[in-house]
Amino acid sequence: MTSERRILNLLALALAFLAMAPFLWLLQMSFKTNAQVFTFPPELFFTPTLENYAALWNTGFRQSFLNSLVVSTAATVLPMLLGVPAAYALSRWQARAASGISLWILASRMAPPIAFTIPYFLAYRHLGLIDTWAGLVLIYLTFNLSLVIWMMRPFFDQLPRALEEAAWIDGATTAQGFWRIVLPLAAPGLAATAILCFLFAWNDFFFALILTRTEAMTAPVAVVNFMNYEGWEWGRIAAGGTMVMLPVLVFSLLVRKYLVHGLTGGAVKG
Amino acid sequence: MTAASVRRHGVERARTRFFQLCLAPSLAVLAVITLAPAVFLLVSSLTPLDLTRPETVGDFSRPLENFRLMLADGRLGNSVWVQAKLSFWTVLLQLLIGFGLALLLNSRDRMIEALRTVFLIPMVLPPIVVAIIWKVIYTPDISPMHWGLSVLGVTIPSLITDPDWALTAIIIADTWQWFPFTMLMTLAALQMMPQELIDAAKVDGASAWQMTWHVTLPFLRGVLLVAGLFRLIDSIKAFPLIFILTDGGPGSLTEVTNYYSFQQAFNFSLLGYSSAITVVLLAASIALSWVIIRAIGWGHRD
Repeated sequence: MTSERRILNLLALALAFLAMAPFLWLLQMSFKTNAQVFTFPPELFFTPTLENYAALWNTGFRQSFLNSLVVSTAATVLPMLLGVPAAYALSRWQARAASGISLWILASRMAPPIAFTIPYFLAYRHLGLIDTWAGLVLIYLTFNLSLVIWMMRPFFDQLPRALEEAAWIDGATTAQGFWRIVLPLAAPGLAATAILCFLFAWNDFFFALILTRTEAMTAPVAVVNFMNYEGWEWGRIAAGGTMVMLPVLVFSLLVRKYLVHGLTGGAVKG
Repeated sequence: MTAASVRRHGVERARTRFFQLCLAPSLAVLAVITLAPAVFLLVSSLTPLDLTRPETVGDFSRPLENFRLMLADGRLGNSVWVQAKLSFWTVLLQLLIGFGLALLLNSRDRMIEALRTVFLIPMVLPPIVVAIIWKVIYTPDISPMHWGLSVLGVTIPSLITDPDWALTAIIIADTWQWFPFTMLMTLAALQMMPQELIDAAKVDGASAWQMTWHVTLPFLRGVLLVAGLFRLIDSIKAFPLIFILTDGGPGSLTEVTNYYSFQQAFNFSLLGYSSAITVVLLAASIALSWVIIRAIGWGHRD
């Protein structure tokens, strides 16, 4: 290794630590008692405690965590069921129509959330969908359905048509070819897309803030409420933040190859 | 027509029917959940809708009143200016940092490849957690930053409540959250840079600095443009950071247009007026999306 490369590596390592520091700080706070949080100079070596997590779990937070899980799961399954066949059809049958609706798809990904929130809020008041799981799942469809269609289409484009055509010649119907030949081959794409759907639903704060009250409140909103009413309980706030981020941190690093693709509504291949 | 060709036509028809069946539900659902609300938003922007005054529902007597009010609304004008500053600085900083880091991390070294994943973490954290992290850093009682500076003998005010610093504090947090995005896009493009281009420059005796300026940068122009546009559109949506860190304050110094619209709608119930502001925001993001599609020639390429 040249000395220049070694210096650059050290620089990269230092920058990585700098970039990580804010995140690590929150993590260590969640294992401190409240008194330790306010201690200066901060103790870097201390006996970690789980009391923040235990205390948090015995409040309404547990219900919010469950709400987040249920809503995010439904907001993954539903768009996958609808969107995957649509992506296949756009790939194999109406490739030209696809470019026509590209602006529509991208715009619904890029639109400011408040543009959807106002009409949904007004409609939900009449439909009784405020503060319900169904209400959240429906509004999450606005971004996840277009995400599925635009994530999956390139995966199908890459699969050689000859495979299905061979199945058709053997007497399989189009549906059978899709179900038995194409879908299994597209499994990695399906997994990555499903994970991204889950992440986007799980990470949402704005829609849940406005469209839920107590019953269907999701974990991110619960943590913020907690911060507004018991702002001095920093250890517990940190524990809440950690519980919100841990499930998604693992998942998202698994799909890092597809992150840019997902964040740009499928417009850019990362 | 022979029996075989009749059968083939039957198969073709069945295939077309299958594809229609695949596509129709999605398009129908998308139309209901995205187009219908957009139309609804446009319609409500033409009314003085105020949830505390039921008589305002469906009052189309002066359809353009909201837009006339917007022109005279000083606080809205201020929010556009705040938005412009926030967008300009965050996009610029994210491009610079993302580009710099991508150059640094563009190596086959094993350690560097592992570090790339570490740098992604800020971007994949839930936005609300990013906001909490920075709330901690900006709260003097518990902040490692304030403690570190006090050890050095420097005392600084609480950045998020200080009029001179509040917007900068938001810019720093937003830049931290999103530099991985520009970094990742730049890195992907760098890895596709043709080796001949690099070799030719080396043969010509270009220094590392000349190489970056005359070869790498021109090659990355398109990617940096698209990454910047995406960040620009996203910066219009900035919400959790502002909601948690400053609530638009002090005064209205960090109140971006999206936030102002949110407050008009959900703190003051002025849904009609807020809809009008949002229509303009929506139009801006659709226009920028269109620019992106043109920039990447998307839909024609695949």
